[in-house]
Amino acid sequence: MKNIKILVVDDEENIRFLFREELEEEGYQVELASNGFEAIDKARNSKFDVIVMDIKMPGMDGIQALNEIKNMVKDQPVILCSAYGEFKQDFSSWISDAYVVKSADTSELKQTIKNILKI
Amino acid sequence: MNPIDLLGNIIEVSHSNLEISSRINAVLNIMSQNMNFDEVIVFTSDQDKRLTCKFKNQKGTLYKTLDRYRCHIGEGVIGSVAQKRAPQYYTDKDIPPRFGCLFYPEIDNLVKKHKIFAFLPLSDDSYIYGVLVLCSSGRHFLTDAEKILLSIISREIGGVLRVNDLLLSSKKRISELATLSELGKALTSNVEPQVILKDIGLIIAKALNALFVTIKLDHASLRVESQRYTYGTLDPSIENYVNELEQEALQHKKTVSSRNRIQREDEISSKYSLYATPIMSKNRILGTITICGGKSQRDFSFEENSNYLLNTFANYITNGLENTLLNTKLKDVVKDLNNAQKRIIEQEKFKSLGEMTANIAHEIKNPLVVIGGFTKRLAKKMHMNQTESRYIDIITNEVSRLESILNDVLNYVKDTPVPDEMCNINDCVNEVLYLFSSDTTWEHMRIVKTYDDDLPPVLCDVQQIKQVFINIIINAHEAMNGEGTITIKTEKTMMDSKQFVVVSIEDTGGGINPSAINNIFNPFFTTKESGTGLGLAISNKIILNYDGKIEIENVVGKGVTFFVYLPVKKHTNGEEFL
Repeated sequence: MKNIKILVVDDEENIRFLFREELEEEGYQVELASNGFEAIDKARNSKFDVIVMDIKMPGMDGIQALNEIKNMVKDQPVILCSAYGEFKQDFSSWISDAYVVKSADTSELKQTIKNILKI
Repeated sequence: MNPIDLLGNIIEVSHSNLEISSRINAVLNIMSQNMNFDEVIVFTSDQDKRLTCKFKNQKGTLYKTLDRYRCHIGEGVIGSVAQKRAPQYYTDKDIPPRFGCLFYPEIDNLVKKHKIFAFLPLSDDSYIYGVLVLCSSGRHFLTDAEKILLSIISREIGGVLRVNDLLLSSKKRISELATLSELGKALTSNVEPQVILKDIGLIIAKALNALFVTIKLDHASLRVESQRYTYGTLDPSIENYVNELEQEALQHKKTVSSRNRIQREDEISSKYSLYATPIMSKNRILGTITICGGKSQRDFSFEENSNYLLNTFANYITNGLENTLLNTKLKDVVKDLNNAQKRIIEQEKFKSLGEMTANIAHEIKNPLVVIGGFTKRLAKKMHMNQTESRYIDIITNEVSRLESILNDVLNYVKDTPVPDEMCNINDCVNEVLYLFSSDTTWEHMRIVKTYDDDLPPVLCDVQQIKQVFINIIINAHEAMNGEGTITIKTEKTMMDSKQFVVVSIEDTGGGINPSAINNIFNPFFTTKESGTGLGLAISNKIILNYDGKIEIENVVGKGVTFFVYLPVKKHTNGEEFL
């Protein structure tokens, strides 16, 4: 697990902190980005096994960033993770691999990551 | 007494202030006493135009028999005098057997006692009021002078009857007019139908001294509290009878009375006289009005020949009800309009409330996730006693409760109704544009409409479709800073051999930055400072939900055109939209 790298993209510092703590505890290596631009930057420079992407962010939002990253790295797995549940059923029309509604209970996020990594 | 004194006496009496019957009876007595007649009788024409024995001298006895018979004008000696308006004089030798209406032996016996008979018409130039009949057993002939005297006296009596007639009819006329003016007042003073109907009942009942007046409404569109308005007491035992009479009046479309009903219930018709008249407007029957008087009741001032009065009342009621109907319709329309306006405002509020709620929910959720997430982490890291872990449980439970409330709120906001109406897209667009018509920030906007008038209806939820157009149009308005032209075009088109209705909305706002064009349907994407980024995202979802699509044509420097494609489908196959 030590070599599985996850990029968490969220504009809220505390959410990033929470996700890092939770995911590191699972044994993943976690890197953080606070908006779309930063995420694209990081994705360009290093390879991530999974990117967990918030949607509503200032600067560049998650869906724009998702499109850019998928253009760069075609098979890059991306999980959209938004507080807003309404568009959950739409993620398939975008090119993300999963959609998780943000919750204090991180077990769904963890399970989705495992599903994508097939572990 | 000489003839001059006699005439003087008679004129004095006939011009006195006494009641008409006292005056005429007094005249007859004077004639009886001074001219030696045993019988002096006045027949007058009654409401049926038949001659009835009405006045007589004090000593007379013949009237007791005559009283029972009424004769038509032209019947017998009395009838023919009335018809010809010329006096006839007979002796016991040549008196015809038909004295009155028919030949009656009992009259014959009485008649035989007398030697001479005189019959004089009581008339003026235009009208016959009655016949004066004189019989004498003591005299054998009348001189020509006496005949002239009798004709002068009969003229005088005719005059009294005429004046009385005029007086009565003008009294009646005045009271009718008073009633009608009261009705007029009642009809104009209030617009509430139930009040009008109650007032009318009261006025008519009082005017006619009726036992009761009942107005029954028979028209479905007359939305009033009750179907029957009664003033006075409608005896339950005759309720059925009244209903039948009303039905009959409706059927024949004219006044019917208990008098001329073929199947008359004797008990009822001996106690009451009832008249029912239909209340009709130009093209419909609104109901009936029925008035009832007691048979024994002397002052029930309604006669068979005053049907016209009842018709007049009915006409008044018709006018009143027609006005009321119009009024009610008007009120309904105004109410509908108010409701529609309220609904529109509510929807608008709801729409922005929905977006606002979605936003707030989103903003609250992040900190909540942080609180809940770290509480869980804290619980995992620390070794706590029972009380402490109970505290933690409370926090995490409350957090997840809040999360589920937020989810419910968001679900409620985005609740999508099943499309179930066939809507005319042209109307839809017009209704949307109407919303902006009173908005001052739209003063410098020009709207160009090119509609296909033959557009097939589209199965959709009108409110949702309107929301889509509102979102697009508001965006256009904002892109042009409130100044420019919006061109809206509706047409039919074919796409993949399927029929679509397409609405294009073109603005002159200079177009969208090409880098943004691919993102405009993404949730939370906005180029506006105050935008939520949800408007077009939701619009797109709605249209995709109908198997339609939204396309954009962006000409930088000029403007943007949104094409909204909606499939034309039949309502019968509604399930495919579920």
